Amino acid sequence: MTTTLPPGTHVSGDDPNVLIDDDYASYEPIPPYPPRTEREAEFYTLGDGEMYLNMGPQHPSTHGVLRVVLKLEGERVVDIDPVLGYLHRGVEKLCENADYHQTISQVDPLEYVSSLFMEWGPVMAYEKLLDIQVPRRAEYIRVLSGELNRIASHALFMGWFALDLGGLTPILWSFIERDEIVEMLAALTGQRMLFNYFRIGGVNGDLNHEFLSRLGDWMSRAVGQIDANTKLLNENEIFVRRASGLGVIDTDMALKLCMTGPNLRATGLPYDIRRAHPYSVYPELDFEVPTRSEGDSLARYLLRMEEVKQSLRIIDQCLHQMPDGPIMAKLPRLLRPRPGRAWAALEGPRGLYGAYAISDGTDQPFRLKIHDPSFIHLQAVGALLPGHLLADTMAIMASLDPIMGGVDK
Amino acid sequence: MSAVSRTWDQLTLPGKFLAIVVPILAVLTTGLILVIVLFGGAIWNVILANLPVVRFIAAATILLLLSPPIAFVIIYMEMKVIALMNLRLGPDRVGPWGTLLSTVHGLKVLMKEDFTPTRADPVVFTWAPVVVFSTAILSALVLPFAPGLFGQDLNLGLLYFFAIGGLTVVGLLMGGWASFNKYSLLGGLRSAAQIVSYEIPLTLSVVGLIILAGTMSLNQIVQQQAGWFVNWFVIRQPLGFLIFVIAATAEANRTPFDLTEADSEIVAGFATEYSGMRFGFFFFAEYIGVFIISALTTVLYLGGWNAPIVLPHIVWAIDIGSLSGWILAIVAIVPVLGTVLLGAPFFLFRSRTRWWVALIVGFVLFNVLAVGLFGLWAYISFDWVAGLFWFVGKTFALVFVFVWLRGTLPRVRIDQLMGFAWKWLLPAALLNLFVTAFAFVVVH
Amino acid sequence: MSQFVPGLGLVKGMGLTLKRFFEPKATIRYPEVRADVAVKFRGRLQLLYDEYGALKCETCFQCAQACPIECIDMGGLDTKGRFHVHWGPPETYGERREESALRRSGRAVPDPAYEHFRPFDLTTVDEILEAHDYDPKRMLEILGATQAAFGHLPVAALKRISERTGAWYALIYGTASYYAQFRFEAPGATAQAEAITARRPPDATFLDRLGASLAGGQGGGQGAGA
Repeated sequence: MTTTLPPGTHVSGDDPNVLIDDDYASYEPIPPYPPRTEREAEFYTLGDGEMYLNMGPQHPSTHGVLRVVLKLEGERVVDIDPVLGYLHRGVEKLCENADYHQTISQVDPLEYVSSLFMEWGPVMAYEKLLDIQVPRRAEYIRVLSGELNRIASHALFMGWFALDLGGLTPILWSFIERDEIVEMLAALTGQRMLFNYFRIGGVNGDLNHEFLSRLGDWMSRAVGQIDANTKLLNENEIFVRRASGLGVIDTDMALKLCMTGPNLRATGLPYDIRRAHPYSVYPELDFEVPTRSEGDSLARYLLRMEEVKQSLRIIDQCLHQMPDGPIMAKLPRLLRPRPGRAWAALEGPRGLYGAYAISDGTDQPFRLKIHDPSFIHLQAVGALLPGHLLADTMAIMASLDPIMGGVDK
Repeated sequence: MSAVSRTWDQLTLPGKFLAIVVPILAVLTTGLILVIVLFGGAIWNVILANLPVVRFIAAATILLLLSPPIAFVIIYMEMKVIALMNLRLGPDRVGPWGTLLSTVHGLKVLMKEDFTPTRADPVVFTWAPVVVFSTAILSALVLPFAPGLFGQDLNLGLLYFFAIGGLTVVGLLMGGWASFNKYSLLGGLRSAAQIVSYEIPLTLSVVGLIILAGTMSLNQIVQQQAGWFVNWFVIRQPLGFLIFVIAATAEANRTPFDLTEADSEIVAGFATEYSGMRFGFFFFAEYIGVFIISALTTVLYLGGWNAPIVLPHIVWAIDIGSLSGWILAIVAIVPVLGTVLLGAPFFLFRSRTRWWVALIVGFVLFNVLAVGLFGLWAYISFDWVAGLFWFVGKTFALVFVFVWLRGTLPRVRIDQLMGFAWKWLLPAALLNLFVTAFAFVVVH
Repeated sequence: MSQFVPGLGLVKGMGLTLKRFFEPKATIRYPEVRADVAVKFRGRLQLLYDEYGALKCETCFQCAQACPIECIDMGGLDTKGRFHVHWGPPETYGERREESALRRSGRAVPDPAYEHFRPFDLTTVDEILEAHDYDPKRMLEILGATQAAFGHLPVAALKRISERTGAWYALIYGTASYYAQFRFEAPGATAQAEAITARRPPDATFLDRLGASLAGGQGGGQGAGA
């Protein structure tokens, strides 16, 4: 009693009632349509000895949901095709249908490890539209909490940079570090992660006793703790040999790729928005802009660790120079800014974070365009990865520090 | 509905279990007793005539039975030690301090669905874990756990060990190729390159030791390290020891050389498509491998089952037979007395303790004391107990070092790994060999 | 120093790990030990009371207005004991939200936006609730009886059921929307949509006219798709 199967199928070995296509398991990540661009055609033709490897959105090591189709020759990467959009949440569209105040909580999850910077950008843009003068105490509190968030973000960077290279321990230590900072910020803002703390015209709540006592306690141990945590990696020969000379970017290439932030400063150019286009109270604060000239992954890592120390300096100065006063400007409840456009850029932990707000006179913004640094930096992997081994792809992507929430918005 | 099915329905789950198992056990026990009674003498004669074969079967069975518990202990150690180094607690809930966790993991892995990917080669896919696991067990047969406790005392014990250990790569390649998965393929090929590269420094580094010892039999190597710890080969062959440890770490696919299963790059390497007990086999085989290389390092360099210091020979001077009638009294009175005496301080000096809680505490303490005294007696009376104690202690100290390495170091890249093997370890091993041979010739 | 001795960095790292092995751990052993929650923590989903035991919430609707995803709802009686004044379920608030976007786009605004706020005689609902003993576990029967009495499930009736049985409004709404036999609009509410659909030309004539103008021969295999 033989039944003929439809052509191109076979019976599954596990369950005789199930039919499986013959080419079911030969999945190559080649799109089913003919190539639409020259670049696609170039990528999706295989040379001799090359194969595709799909580092899919579910992977232990891509920072969030990033899909990278690699063309490998053995272990060496020949070409890559990154596919973004797996975390797209339509934030900019949601902001169009929301009040100005509501956009602040919509923008929080963009780079969720550094939420305060994500709120700060649109808030600065709206304040430009509304011509609001933010009270000085509010500005100092913004800088203080922002620098704390920068330290938390850099600590997490150290953790997963080490994790992508194989070390299991530093990420746990950096989470302990981050836990303390996040508890502090919870005492100040009320939330541990997506803070929703900045308001148009100031901040939500004043400094309180719990926050200041936790902050003081932590600051007294901070430098020693950070030094101890990084000591495991900085002198480790395996780590240094893996990370140095990896993904070298020179200043020319970085500027052409529009990179900013620590990735650009590691190539030798001391460009920091806090110094180049000062905003808030940064002109009154004294800090250095760390720069390194090698431009490889090790330089980017060491640079971020130095930035942490500079952030500690800034926090110290903020605490000493904190003025008294209100923490929120006097504003009407329903905001209707004048029709116009405003651009605000600030130095986030990853680079230049910008918000471009277009208002049409109603109580909802007409458009809020987000310029996210992770999105720009992820374009660099196409130039950096070919030629390196498979194990280096993770290391290079980790050293550029992308957060997929910001990439996909 | 017959009476049988009605009764069956009324039983609870433990009842059903017992209702099946107890009759089977009863039948088997009766059968065994009958066989022993009827044919006991003949069986004993057959065993005595074929002692080597029986010894081999017994050794293999005991090793197979003991390997899951050893693997469980090492898995638990790894999770707990790495967690403590990470400033967290690790397994905490399942048993006291989480000790039953790896047992539960073993049972869980048995209960998972066991499937074969569609385009995978079913025969090779199924046999890969078997090959990996069995090579690990086979290579452990020549290890001397204690004076008299070894599977076989081959003249070529060391050569046999390296030969069988090299078969592991066949299993890994089988697993990587048969999975029909590029990640597995990459993992399998990486492991092939890695293990083959590190075989040579591994074997070369012990050649110096073979020259010094004059034999390849592991049992005799251990016997030559008797006495104080300055007799251990680690003092005489420090460079060889270092090379051996590094090469053995690479052979066992442990961090920093664990790029065959690097889970931040190629998901799980050659074991990506495996689930259920087949993955359990790979997992077990890795940890048995850790145990085996620690054991081999102990045997070769750290004195095996010898104590580091020479203890004076103590004889247990009590003759049990002369106590005759008093034994009954001792067995009846001493446990009760011990329980009460050990529990009394808790009841008297801690007001919250109820009397029966104090008795339980006393009983537990009495058991601990009794086991300790028994162990002491066994240590003094039997040399294999002492040897086993030192062997296991040193081996687990080395396992701790391997786990410590895993918790601390990041991973090396494949080209750095091969460069390190061929450019640094191989010349170092050759240097060690030449210096040892030269010194040996000069001294003798 | 570690440039001169190869491997010294590794050894120092291992020394640090061993030191950390003996340090006190950072894990909080939940549930025996609970971490302190900040006083200002905003994540608690409960209404707070002040020190006199009175509820702090004044139902000023500011939180519902500010919520970006409109998931906050007000409910209760006003000072005159009426049940529906100025407050609405989030669905209607969403319609008011959508309205401004709709208005700006120039499209027609749908009419029945405020019908939910019509005054309502709740005695029928009270009788149904009395018959079912105000038991929230018999929600399906209660909803079935309400649908039988009114022809659909009016919002005010659902709010009354929520108030009297103690079940959350969102729960009742979710239950009702899950089953196909319940409808939230009166049977005549879809008359406009149905009228428009009835006036559409059947697909065959449309495709014929399209094919004739394109001269591309669109053989319309589709039957009338209404």
